[in-house]
Amino acid sequence: MTIPSAGDVPVLPPLWLRVVLLPVRLIEMLGAWVLSFREVAEETGRWARIFAMGLLNFFIPPFRLRLIIGQCEFIGVQSLPIILLASAFTGAVFTLQSYRAFALFGAEAMVGGTVGVALTRELGPTLTGLLVTGRAGSAIAAELGSMRVTEQIDALDAMAVDPVNYLVKPRMLASLLMMPLLTATFDFVGVAGSYIVGIYMLRMSEPDFMVRLRDWVDWDDIWGGLLKATVFGLIMGSVACYKGFYTRGGAKGVGVATTTSVVVSSVAILIANFFIAWALP
Amino acid sequence: MTEIDPITGQPAAIVYRDVHKSFGQFHILRGLNLTVPRGRITVIIGRSGTGKSVTIKHVMGLMRPDKGRIWVGEDELTAMNDRDLRTVRTRFGVVFQHAALFDSMNVFENIAFPLREHERRTEREVQARVYQLLASVGLQGSEGKMPSELSGGMAKRVGLARALVRNPEFLLYDEPTTGLDPILTAAMDHLIAETQRAHPSLTSLIISHDMHAVLTIADKIVMLFDGVVAHEGTPDYFRNSDDALIRQFLTGSLDGPMKV
Repeated sequence: MTIPSAGDVPVLPPLWLRVVLLPVRLIEMLGAWVLSFREVAEETGRWARIFAMGLLNFFIPPFRLRLIIGQCEFIGVQSLPIILLASAFTGAVFTLQSYRAFALFGAEAMVGGTVGVALTRELGPTLTGLLVTGRAGSAIAAELGSMRVTEQIDALDAMAVDPVNYLVKPRMLASLLMMPLLTATFDFVGVAGSYIVGIYMLRMSEPDFMVRLRDWVDWDDIWGGLLKATVFGLIMGSVACYKGFYTRGGAKGVGVATTTSVVVSSVAILIANFFIAWALP
Repeated sequence: MTEIDPITGQPAAIVYRDVHKSFGQFHILRGLNLTVPRGRITVIIGRSGTGKSVTIKHVMGLMRPDKGRIWVGEDELTAMNDRDLRTVRTRFGVVFQHAALFDSMNVFENIAFPLREHERRTEREVQARVYQLLASVGLQGSEGKMPSELSGGMAKRVGLARALVRNPEFLLYDEPTTGLDPILTAAMDHLIAETQRAHPSLTSLIISHDMHAVLTIADKIVMLFDGVVAHEGTPDYFRNSDDALIRQFLTGSLDGPMKV
């Protein structure tokens, strides 16, 4: 028997054997797929439990106003700088690009209305959702995760304090309340950014800009966007709390919980965005 | 369930009868029968993974047995719903292995937390109680510190003060001296014994590896092996026993019935 050297190409089993083993391999793949599906189903089930318990606890005392206000401050007020910056520049660059495109067929006057509709219906809620998920969702998952691995959540349980009521409720409620408020800010500042670039840099006509903006942007667009933001807030809050709450495995586990909470929330927000846009008029 | 603990002659405060618990294929508790005497210090010893922490989590109602029954005083835990279990938990204080202090609160707020959550007390009463406990664990003047500023020994003492703040009937310690140097270990052991002296009706249940402390402060020692009670008795019984399992555990020898 010769020992293969490092440079040898691995030898495949003979063709007849591979053909015979093909059904076995297929069953193996099917099994792996079913198992991974089971894992996803289990995770979804546990998330649904946290989500439902969190919602139910909105109505169960004690209400701990101080914790809720503290979370509103963390998720809402402390996210303001990044929302202000992002919205001003989003409105500005969107105006710049659409002005160049619309100028090709002399439709510059439509820029204000286009930017207004795009911001209130899509960009405002979606970008706010993604930015707040990156900033606050990750922090929530990391905080609850490290509380789990250092037994602080067990300590709450041991002191007969319901951890869902004490930890999950304020975070979910604050996410739900703050996301639409931040989105409204995004919409307003985005339009202001667009106005500044349109009127002062591109020398557009101010009445044209404002008339189209007023005519094209309906209250329905604004309310629809805020409804989306509310859903995104619930998604971010519940996913971040769920990932943090069920963290396992020390510092590494906290890292994994933080990353997956941002990834899962972001993807869920984008998917939910499509379905809400589809359902809304 | 009124029963007398044969080792100490005290009435039973906590009773486990034929308790089984598995995690997947791991059968951790395999028919545990255990009696914890009222007003005494009971220490559970045994190698890591023999089910000591699982035993303590069952008595708090943080885990439910697959089979068997558990009584805390007159109440049968295994027949309770989640809400009643929560009420039972208010009768316990727990000192966690790594203290488990809330790191968003300072020492004062940590100790005051159970009082503020469960009792209607004026701020003056809360303050008086917290300062009294801080003095009893020797941490006067540390009330404003955050948990991250505390050493391991200080954090455990704050954990003990927090566990005691509501005058619990039962005090559970999960490896109270793990990670401490010999001097701090001795200080913690002394504090545990002092706490018991100051609260004669308190029932203490300790999980420990620290054999010196076990033999000094325990009224009753229970040795778990393979998910059941292998031996139980007074410290003298353990000191004088010729049993291979006990000798191996006391001397920390590699040779014996317990394989590494």
